[in-house]
Amino acid sequence: MSSSPSSSQLELKIPLHVAYIKSLGENKDDLAYHLTAHLRINAIYWGLTALCVMDHKGALDREEVIGFVMSCWDEEVGAFGAHPRHDAHMLSTLSAIQILVTHDALDRMDVPRVVKFILSLHQQSGVFAGDAFGETDTRFTYCAVNALSLLGHLHELDVDRTVDYIVRCRNFDGGFGSGIGAESHAAQVFVCVAALAILDRLDVVDVQTLGWWLSERQLPNGGLNGRPEKLEDVCYSFWVLSALAIIEKISWIDADKLTAFILSAQDLEGGGIADRPGDMVDVFHTLFGVAGLSLLGYPGLVDLDPVYCMPVSIIEKRGLRKQWKALERRKS
Amino acid sequence: MHGIKRVHQSPEAAQVKKLRDQAKIQEYLALTDEILSRKKNQDWSVDAFRLTSRLLQINPEFYTVWNYRRNILILGIFPHSSLQDVNNFITDDLSMTTAALRSHPKVYWIWNHRRWCLENVPNGPGNKGENDYSEWKKGNWDKEIYVVEKILDADPRNFHAWNYRRYILASMPVSKPLNSELHYTARKIEANLSNFSAWHQRSKILAILWDGKELFSIKSKEDELELAKNAMYTDPDDQSVWVYHRLMRKGNNKILLEREVSAIQELLDEQPDSKWCMESIVHYTQLLLRNHASSVDSPALTSYCQSLLGRLQRLDPLRQHRYKELGVSK
Repeated sequence: MSSSPSSSQLELKIPLHVAYIKSLGENKDDLAYHLTAHLRINAIYWGLTALCVMDHKGALDREEVIGFVMSCWDEEVGAFGAHPRHDAHMLSTLSAIQILVTHDALDRMDVPRVVKFILSLHQQSGVFAGDAFGETDTRFTYCAVNALSLLGHLHELDVDRTVDYIVRCRNFDGGFGSGIGAESHAAQVFVCVAALAILDRLDVVDVQTLGWWLSERQLPNGGLNGRPEKLEDVCYSFWVLSALAIIEKISWIDADKLTAFILSAQDLEGGGIADRPGDMVDVFHTLFGVAGLSLLGYPGLVDLDPVYCMPVSIIEKRGLRKQWKALERRKS
Repeated sequence: MHGIKRVHQSPEAAQVKKLRDQAKIQEYLALTDEILSRKKNQDWSVDAFRLTSRLLQINPEFYTVWNYRRNILILGIFPHSSLQDVNNFITDDLSMTTAALRSHPKVYWIWNHRRWCLENVPNGPGNKGENDYSEWKKGNWDKEIYVVEKILDADPRNFHAWNYRRYILASMPVSKPLNSELHYTARKIEANLSNFSAWHQRSKILAILWDGKELFSIKSKEDELELAKNAMYTDPDDQSVWVYHRLMRKGNNKILLEREVSAIQELLDEQPDSKWCMESIVHYTQLLLRNHASSVDSPALTSYCQSLLGRLQRLDPLRQHRYKELGVSK
């Protein structure tokens, strides 16, 4: 045994992470803050959701957050950009909707226009584009399906065409890729399986084969990778775990070892969680670290819905909860 | 942020960095503001185009500026340019994105812009019906395979590059024979058995060749199993090979399943602690039990599976619950 405290004894340093997330808006002296403006609205969704999971939703001022989201509205296109004056895109539009739903403020936005924007990006093949320039990816399919569901407009979607494309992205290993012919990747597995869950079409998932492939993502150090023979990374704690939760196979990996791995990637001085131990933290990995811990039943955390990646209580209130199974919350 | 080591700066060092950043931030924000203002005013000028080049060099993730750049080309520049000039602009943008990809090989927006460029190469220089009518297109598309190979040399698992490669192969004006792609995947696999991206690509190319009857699928599957077997013997712990093997051995044919089980058993005898040997034997044996229960020695096979699953639970405790479940379900 080494003399340094073992990671299994580490706890989730909630106050540190809350302070870290609160401080993110105060980094305007840092060049990196400005170079990541194209991810600002996503970062707010990541930070807010992480705070919700840690039961500190109020740490970011509600009105300020809603005000920022509305300042990202792209009047020309009728959807949200990532930052004021940036172009509307599917990725930023989903984040905007998730934030507004989390704050029960959907009445601030023009729902019919956003629905029209999303549906306009549905391609003949069944996949969605990210914007009018036409890049397609199953990530955008998930964004569209999730957003339409949150907005209560899923009935306007051509479900068969959507599912048909996802099925064509399924590989023999049970996983899914970003498009037809693409290699299975855990994050793409999440977006495809979660979209299928929302559309009540999990029947097209080969649970045994996918469960096998997902369980093989866990490495001896407890962390999860995204593809065979790749390195572990905290964000896969969410991509892999959420997919496992949806097919009800979380028990197929070692929860204690994954918990220890996520905890070991915390920055115990400055707060936040990194991709792996000893690396720089960011708000993206902070969310997916605590999201993973929530699904693993880590004590004291709020339940997270693996399909929508939002607090369960909010999804239940809207009557959108699907079948899935996380680990029971531990008392200590 | 991925793979960047954590450093906690002293307050003094942080102060120095802050001062150093300040000038850069001012310059960056001024440039951003100028571009977004011109964009709002629908300024489609060459000046604006040059400003986008400067900004994208600093920050190739600024998708709004890529969008603006394309709109300048479409609405401001191309309508007043000869086809030769259009081709020059596109060739320049292809070079610009080649340079950008060298330092940012995983930025979606750069790859997107490249696709857009390729799809907008004009016909020429000759007129319709002449030999060199599609020479520009051919020239630019041919270069792409070379560019993407360079990027895959640097990172053989870059999925952006593989996706782009598939797109190029499927869309190029003069298509490349699929056999040469098969050779390419063989080379990549030879260089590194763990490169599952190459195995994956191989499986996709083979599926096309089998569908089109360009390869006799039964014989070709045998060759692939042989390839996988050689790789297993080289490194029995390499997951990529076992996943590939499972694809090639898809199906319920009794004789083939039995043959595969006994081949893997041979390797297990040599490597008695090989998790993948045991896991695969269980998988194929359970297929036999499920599909040919009446013509195999069910009790013996069932009990062999149980003993392997018991060993797997001890040998690979991370996944012990899966092995337990496999022991109960039929």
